[in-house]
Amino acid sequence: MKIENLHQFLYQFFQSTGCQLSEPAENELLIQLTKDLDIALMNRPFYWHYMDKIGQQGNPMSLHLYTGESQNDPGKEWIHYGSPRLHQIFQYIQSHAKVTVLYEKLNSQEKTALYPWLVVNLKVEYIGKQKKEEIHSFGLQLINGTMISNMMTLLQDTDLGEIVSDYTYTITPLISPSSGFQRIFRYLEDGLAKMDQSWVTQAKKALDEELSLLEHFFSDKESDEELYQNEIMRLKERLEPKINMHIINAGLFYLSDQVMNKILH
Amino acid sequence: MIPVEKDLNFVANFTNMTNNPNQLTTWEMFQQSYQIAETLKIESFHSLVSMNFLPHMNFLPHQVKCAERVIQDMSGRALLADEVGLGKTIEAGLILKEYLIRGVVKKVLILAPASLVNQWAMELNQKFYIPAVTAGKRVDWAHSNIIIATMDLAKREPHRSAILGQVYDMVIIDEAHKLKNHQTKNYQFVQALQKKYFLLLTATPVQNKLTDIFNLISLLKPGYLGTYENFNKKHRADPYLKQLIQQVMIRNRREETGVNWTDRHVSTIWVDFTDQELQTYERIEESCRDIQVVSSITYKREFCSSREACYLSLKKWIETKEELNNQTTLLHHLLRDIEQLPHHAKALKLIELIKNHTDEKFIVFTEYRATQIYLQWLLQQEGIRAVIFRGGFKKGKRDWMRQLFHDHAQVMIATEAAGEGINLQFCHNLVNYDLPWNPMRLEQRIGRIHRYGQENDVKIYNLAIRHTMEEHVMELLYNKIHLFENVIGQLDQILAKLEMDNLESEISQIFNESRTFGETKIKLDNLVSVISSAAEVEVGESI
Repeated sequence: MKIENLHQFLYQFFQSTGCQLSEPAENELLIQLTKDLDIALMNRPFYWHYMDKIGQQGNPMSLHLYTGESQNDPGKEWIHYGSPRLHQIFQYIQSHAKVTVLYEKLNSQEKTALYPWLVVNLKVEYIGKQKKEEIHSFGLQLINGTMISNMMTLLQDTDLGEIVSDYTYTITPLISPSSGFQRIFRYLEDGLAKMDQSWVTQAKKALDEELSLLEHFFSDKESDEELYQNEIMRLKERLEPKINMHIINAGLFYLSDQVMNKILH
Repeated sequence: MIPVEKDLNFVANFTNMTNNPNQLTTWEMFQQSYQIAETLKIESFHSLVSMNFLPHMNFLPHQVKCAERVIQDMSGRALLADEVGLGKTIEAGLILKEYLIRGVVKKVLILAPASLVNQWAMELNQKFYIPAVTAGKRVDWAHSNIIIATMDLAKREPHRSAILGQVYDMVIIDEAHKLKNHQTKNYQFVQALQKKYFLLLTATPVQNKLTDIFNLISLLKPGYLGTYENFNKKHRADPYLKQLIQQVMIRNRREETGVNWTDRHVSTIWVDFTDQELQTYERIEESCRDIQVVSSITYKREFCSSREACYLSLKKWIETKEELNNQTTLLHHLLRDIEQLPHHAKALKLIELIKNHTDEKFIVFTEYRATQIYLQWLLQQEGIRAVIFRGGFKKGKRDWMRQLFHDHAQVMIATEAAGEGINLQFCHNLVNYDLPWNPMRLEQRIGRIHRYGQENDVKIYNLAIRHTMEEHVMELLYNKIHLFENVIGQLDQILAKLEMDNLESEISQIFNESRTFGETKIKLDNLVSVISSAAEVEVGESI
């Protein structure tokens, strides 16, 4: 589920955050920011502090983005992978989209039960001599404990909203979310044992080599002990193999059996 | 067992957050956050994320491998020392791009020679979509994210203090061999920069002596090699040094890259002085010997280049030595002799060469500015359009000259300082109007045109005048060790191995101290055989 079209991605982002926007030309976005986004993106804390002090609304700025290939027009800001602006937006999304509670949108006249699912997206980082990342998306039904992977891909066309639709009702979880998280962690850890461990051996070997090299160069009396200890620490930090299980985001999703059956088959 | 760190904080806060509507996000943004993670994922231990975002670039395998090694194995502190023309800028750009995409680098300082500043900006913007800007006079160091500046500008106040006050995520220094002396202001300035990732770029990591590399490594790995004095005593023959060098240096050689490079064809064009010129040449030697204070080497070298180069430097010398009254008459005679020469045989030969290839471009390198001006005048007289290029040119003028050469002129006449800096792949004829005595500089010259992107075989013409010192240098130094073909790539290592401090001064010394032609020849022969035998050992081995 990589970003395929950056222009569309940005359009959707600014639209869903409530900004007024237009497309004056191909590959261009003209955005009237909201106050929230101005504070998040435009880096002018003093202005907003001052406006608050004098009790004024303040005027959020607008952005004119260019999403095509390289350009030099000073009136437009070229946005692309690796531009600081895009990372600012990415960070904004990542920090604001940590947790959610969502309900399936149904247009039914019949009473329909919505079952609780814990949806967890994780990034597993394998850090040794080099770094590798895996992304997992799990769905865990909080009544019967069914666990499925690739949850985000499966759900991508499902209509979800922040409020419960008419004629639907939610079932209270039997499994608590925190034990749900534990099950998911345990599942991942069981998988680790079966994984190819050569990266661990490689990292340890590289660390040993670097440490002995370091020792050689710092062995005489004149060398700087503090620097030596720092270097040892830096090497260990960098080369001692470790695994990080970082949660990208998670949420409680209330879904009908019909939709789950459709998705799974 | 490998330690596994789980995001337990998140789990602890989760239930609380689900109860607080302010903390909840929409379905769209929840999906977008997941998409970002997928997009920026580091797929495998060996891959670069940035490759997915630069589909228009055709990287060479060694360039990608270099970037991977720097990021994965060297934690972003490295000496990129590929041979000239293999794309060190591309490698640095790729590394920078990767860090930018991973979001770990924002603030970047790039220091490059004036002649390369615009090219860096162009390549980063066009090839990598990296919004780098060049530093003008009123540059705002605190608020610029990715900035390219010259060392001269950066080390001058008030810029110096402003730059040292910044914390850079990444610093890149092009043509880093200029930092080989740790006592210079440049070196100390670079040392003082606050930086996390750090790239040094040079094609010639060891220019003259092994201690050059000591200084570069000490920038990348402070403290490892102790003090300069200690290093000289202790580590010179240390096998661990090689290992350390491997950990910070990447050096790709042309033949290892697996890329089909166009060939180099080298030919020497012999020129005969006219009798009158030869007499003057000998007269320089005699006069200098009579005066006994100056060595004739410089003036003879200059005379082999042009009358003007020799005349100007002789005249300048005379003016500073007024006390030499009785001898100045001798020198004034010499000056008059030079004045009366109608032409210079070598220059006429050059015209002949260029006129035989009217539809091809030529870059002509000379060591002397006076020669440069003379050649420009002469070519103009002959109706050949020529531009000149010097290291001292301002940025705008350099770019303009390159463009003029590309679009309008047949010939570019460049002095040594231009040997590094501009890329002229569109030209494939190079004339060494006079030969530098340091072969590393020769490689820099050739690298301007024989680089990635050159589609034709490269023709190198060496002009040398018979029965002069040029003949010795040509025959003994260049022809015997085949410097033009292949050995240059290894010459840096060879010189380091031989602990030969400075090749150019070795050669000067030989000319200076030899009384006769025979003696010069024997000594140069010796020098050559020492280098050649070291080269034979070195072939097949590499750092």
